[in-house]
Amino acid sequence: MSNSNRMSKALVRRETMAGYAFMIPSLIFFLGFVIYPMIQCVITSFFDSTMNRADIFVGIGNYVELFQDSVFLGALKNTVIIVVVSVPVTCIFSLWVSSVIYNLKEPFCSIFRCIFYLPVVTGSVAVTVVWKWMFNNYYGIFNYVGKSLGILDKNINWLGDERFALGCIILILLTTSVGQPIVLYVSALNNVDQSLVEAAEVDGATKFQCFWRIKWPQIMPTTLYILVITTINSFQCFALIQLLTSGGPNHSTDTIMYYIYYNAFKLYRYGYGNAMGVVLAVIIAVLSGIQFKVTKSD
Amino acid sequence: MKYRKIMALALTACMVFPVSAFAESETTDITLWTYPVGSWGDSAVVDGLIANFNEVYPNINVTVEYLDYTNGDDQVNTAIEGGQAPDIVFEGPERLVANWGAKGLMVDLADLWTDEAKEAIYDSVEAACQNNEGVFYEYPLCMTAHTMAINREIFEAADALQYLDEETRTWTTENFVKAVEAVYASGQENVAAIYCNGQGGDQGTRALINNLYGGTFTNAEHTEYTVNSEENIKALELLTSMDGINIDASITGGDEIQLFCNGTLAMAFCWNIAQEVNNAESISFDVLPMAFPSENGEPQLCGGIWGFGIFDNGDEAKIEAAKTFIDFMANDETQAVESVKASSYWPVKDLGNIYEGDELKTEYALFTDYMGDYYQVVGGWAEARTAWWNMLQQIGSGTDIATAVEEFATTANAAAAAAQ
Repeated sequence: MSNSNRMSKALVRRETMAGYAFMIPSLIFFLGFVIYPMIQCVITSFFDSTMNRADIFVGIGNYVELFQDSVFLGALKNTVIIVVVSVPVTCIFSLWVSSVIYNLKEPFCSIFRCIFYLPVVTGSVAVTVVWKWMFNNYYGIFNYVGKSLGILDKNINWLGDERFALGCIILILLTTSVGQPIVLYVSALNNVDQSLVEAAEVDGATKFQCFWRIKWPQIMPTTLYILVITTINSFQCFALIQLLTSGGPNHSTDTIMYYIYYNAFKLYRYGYGNAMGVVLAVIIAVLSGIQFKVTKSD
Repeated sequence: MKYRKIMALALTACMVFPVSAFAESETTDITLWTYPVGSWGDSAVVDGLIANFNEVYPNINVTVEYLDYTNGDDQVNTAIEGGQAPDIVFEGPERLVANWGAKGLMVDLADLWTDEAKEAIYDSVEAACQNNEGVFYEYPLCMTAHTMAINREIFEAADALQYLDEETRTWTTENFVKAVEAVYASGQENVAAIYCNGQGGDQGTRALINNLYGGTFTNAEHTEYTVNSEENIKALELLTSMDGINIDASITGGDEIQLFCNGTLAMAFCWNIAQEVNNAESISFDVLPMAFPSENGEPQLCGGIWGFGIFDNGDEAKIEAAKTFIDFMANDETQAVESVKASSYWPVKDLGNIYEGDELKTEYALFTDYMGDYYQVVGGWAEARTAWWNMLQQIGSGTDIATAVEEFATTANAAAAAAQ
C-alpha cells in the first residue's frame, strides 16, 4: 500500500469521525425528544395510564375501546372530511394561483406571494381571533354583510351550529394552508425548462398540452411534497379547533388531534390518548405511502 | 488554675454559642402556589402579605408562584408527577378536597380546624372543606356568591323592572319568563345566552337551570349527580322554548360577560362582583346584579370558597411551617382582614363589615345570604364539568332533553363512582 493511499484513508477516517462527532448533539436531541417519546407513546398505549398512580397493563384494551368510542369515530370522520376537502383544494388552488403569477414581472409576483404567505407567518392565535370575530353570532361581519345584502334574514351562529362549524374550520384552514404551496409551486414552475415549452409551442401544442405534458411532470416532486405536507397538516389540525370551537358544537368539529389532547390533558387518560396517537401515525404513514406509490416517486 | 477555668469556660462558650446561633437562624423554605383569586394573583399585593408574615415569622421563607385558570391545573399536576408539588396551594374545595385531596395528596388539616375555628366558620363552608369521611383538606379564607346580572336600562325601557324585587334582588321563575318576554318584545333580539363552548363560567348555567324549578346538581351527600331530575328537565325545556334565550355553543362564560358588558346581551348568567370591578371601564349602563330566578323566589346560589391546602411532600418541618403560614393568614386578628380584602371577596366567618363605606361591596354582600349547597366536592367533578357543556351543546343541537340529561348522568355518575 502506498504512503499516499494510507494517508488518504486516515484522512477519510478522521473526517468521518469528525462528522459523527458533529452529529452527536443533534442525534442525542433527536433520540431524546423524538425517538424516545415515540417509543414511550407506543408502550403507554397498552396501559391504563393516568396521573398519580402506577400504570395498569391493559393489552390492546385501549385500541378496542377506541373503535367502540363514538366520539373518536366521529373525530376520525371529521378529520377525514377535513383532509379530503382541504388537500385537493389547497393543491389545485395553489397550483392555479402559481400558474397565474409565476411569470408576472417583479414586484407583482413577490407582492402576490407575500399576500398569500402572510397568513402562514401570522401567529395562528391572531388569525383565529380575527376569524372568530368575523364569524361572531352577534356582531360578526359575515352576518352583517349577509343581512345587509338580504341573503340572510337572521343571524347564523356559524361556529355554534353543527351544520356550519366544520365548514368554517375548513375555510380558515385553507386560507392558512395555501401560502407555502404557492411559494413552492412558483419556484418549481420557474425551474421548468423553458426551451421544452417553447419547442412544444412551435410544434403547435396547446397551453393545456404544454402544461400537462411538460410542466406537470417536472413539478411532480413538488406536488408530492405539497400533498404529503398538506395531508399531514390537515390530519394534525388542532389549534383552530382548540381556539375556536373546542370540538363543539356537539362534537361536530372534533378531530383526532383535538380528541388526543382532550383525553390526555383534560381527562389525563394518557394511555388512551397515546393509543389514538399511534392510530393517527399509522393512518398518516399508510396515506403517505399511497401518495408516494400513486405519484410513482421514491 | 484560675486561668485554666477561664479558658475552659471560654471554650465551652465558643462551642455552645455557634450551635444556638445556628438553631436560631435556621429557616424553613416553603412554596405557595396561588390561583388568581382577586389580588392573590398580584405579586405586589401578595408580597405585602408575606412581608407581614415574615415580620412575625422571619424564619419561614415563602416563595410564591402565580397560576392562572387556563394552565394552572396542568402546572400543578405536572409538578405532582415530578415530585415537585408546592407546599401550599390557594384555591377552592373542588380542587383541594375533591381532586387532590381525594387522590391522597393533601395533608389532613384537622389541627387547624380547632373547636374555636369550627365555631367561627360558617357551617356551609365547613362542610365544603372536608370530604365525606370528615377529613379537612382546606382551611378557608374567603367566599363569594356567583350571581347573574341584568342591564337595568334595557329592562327599564322594556318596562320589565316590575318583574323583579330590586331590594332583595330576587325574582320568581314566572316573573323571569315575563321579564324575558317583555325585553324581547321591546326589540332586544338577544336577551341572554346559555354559553357552552367550554367549562369557563359554567356555574352560571348550572345555577340558572337548578334554580328555575328547584332542581339540584347532586344529591345532598354529594355522591351522585341528579341533573336528570324532572325539575332540571323542566327548566331546560323552558329555556329552549323561550324567544331571546339561545343555547350558544360558540361562546364561553368569558365571551358572555363581554357581550353583556358591551350591551349585546341584556343579561349575564356568569357574574359576580369581580366582573363588575374588572369591566367597570367598558360598562356604560347600570348593572343590576340579581339572584337566579326560582319558583318560590328563594334562590340557592353557587358559591366560591377559597382557602389553603397543603401538599403532603413528606417533610414535617415544611408542613408545620405551611400550617403556621395558613394560621397567620386566616386567623391572625389584623392579618385575616387584609388577607380577605386581597381576594376582593368576603370572609368565611364574622369579621365585621370589612368593607365599611364601599357601596359596591355592600350591594354584593347581600348575595352571600343566598348561598346554596357547595356541591363541587362531588367525585368525578372534572369529568362532570366537561360532560355538562357537552350536554348543553347536544340540547342546543336539538337532541331530546331527557336523553341528553340521562347521558350526562350516566357519564358523570360513572366518574363519581370511579372516584370513590
